Amino acid sequence: MSFKFIKFALLVFLFIGMKDPAFAATCSCAGVPLLTTIDTSASEKGEFFISYSTEFHQISDLVSGTKNVNDETDRDRNSFSQVLSASYAMTDRWSVSALVSYVKHNRTIGSSFLGKTTTSGIGDSVILLRYTPLFITPFSRHLISLGLGVRIPTGDDDFGDNFVLSEDMQPSTGAYGEILWTSYSYAFNQAATVQFNTSANYTVNEENDRKYAFGNEFNLFSGISHAIGSKFGYSAGLRYRTTRADRRFGFDIPNTGGQWLDFIPGISYAVTNHLNLGLSGRIPVWRKLDGVLQFTTSYAYSFSLSYGF
Amino acid sequence: MASDLLKLLSLMLLLAQPVLAQESAPLFSGVDLNTKKQINLSDFRGKVVFVDFWASWCAPCRASLPAYDQMRQEIGTEEFEIIAINVDENTEDGLKFLAEHPVSYPVLADPEGDIGISYGIRSLPRSFLLDRNGQITATYKSFKEGDEIKLKQEIEVLLKQ
Repeated sequence: MSFKFIKFALLVFLFIGMKDPAFAATCSCAGVPLLTTIDTSASEKGEFFISYSTEFHQISDLVSGTKNVNDETDRDRNSFSQVLSASYAMTDRWSVSALVSYVKHNRTIGSSFLGKTTTSGIGDSVILLRYTPLFITPFSRHLISLGLGVRIPTGDDDFGDNFVLSEDMQPSTGAYGEILWTSYSYAFNQAATVQFNTSANYTVNEENDRKYAFGNEFNLFSGISHAIGSKFGYSAGLRYRTTRADRRFGFDIPNTGGQWLDFIPGISYAVTNHLNLGLSGRIPVWRKLDGVLQFTTSYAYSFSLSYGF
Repeated sequence: MASDLLKLLSLMLLLAQPVLAQESAPLFSGVDLNTKKQINLSDFRGKVVFVDFWASWCAPCRASLPAYDQMRQEIGTEEFEIIAINVDENTEDGLKFLAEHPVSYPVLADPEGDIGISYGIRSLPRSFLLDRNGQITATYKSFKEGDEIKLKQEIEVLLKQ
């Protein structure tokens, strides 16, 4: 077993075993894009990547079906998440990725300080094992990768003083999830500086201790990326996301679930051969939400830093 | 169900661990783009050989080819040789690059990737150091100025063996 793999395994166990007593909190990763931030860079035997990303997610749009509704409740809701992710390639075809999240939710209703609620703590973690039968090389334009993973409720999910706060305000879901993941890329030139990328994932969400289950979720992303020289790159893509209604004791919860289509632009800069910076946004294009009214994404932006060796 | 899946993933992780072993360099042959002579890797058995894959679109190759040429002149070719493999889909692009960055060592064209695939090339530049018995002793995945100094030291160690 190589030294890099041992380092990777140690990191994974540190992440997963980590609890933060100062934030003895809760968990619900609502709005935390775990699978879109997981680092899947390591693709060649012995490669090890570690990345850190943050995302600010504003959740203030009030939507009925496909239409925006004026919100006169003076309500503000946002989430700030931090994700530490690592990936290691054991062989040229088999690799493993893992991440741990730290989540802070803010909710303000009205102008009084009594209406402000903040929760924070370790969120969920994910382990994803990937098999890549086909990859982009100077002699092949296609990449296909398949993955199987588990979402692990590493944080607490019972935040609240006299009563437990709603699930979307918990830093972790409190429940396991099973993940199917796949990715395909096509390089338009031999140098692979222009690529079409698409990836899809499906998560089956189980019930937490309070018999609450987030709706099963499907994500499909498609986009184009372009590297300019060896330093700069930009990308643009669309992400379609659909979730079933959340459930409690097996019964659907009203005003949960729906479909979203977001535009995701991004830029990247390679500081060195090993260090990369990235900046991306998430802008709603269309949505069709279940139920009468739902608060949903207004916009999101994220910053990432990754190091490979 | 998720905990069973976690156990399965752990098992697959262990099974996916590679077996580490020193590999024999795949043999290849071709025509030198500079001299038009036939080149066979097997003819260099007994010498330390540095096999370098490159392409005209590979930015670090602009620096690596002249650096390797200089290194070859310093080491000499009695017991050492460099063989470069150009993987441009259009070999003309490689020839244009060589006109701007000429080298004195053999350069073979591999537009179809026959040699590159046998060496498992995933990205460029990529090079391999072979001992006198044709065993791959080191692989290099990138190039930056100054890398040739460490490489030269590694070659000199192999030359003493």
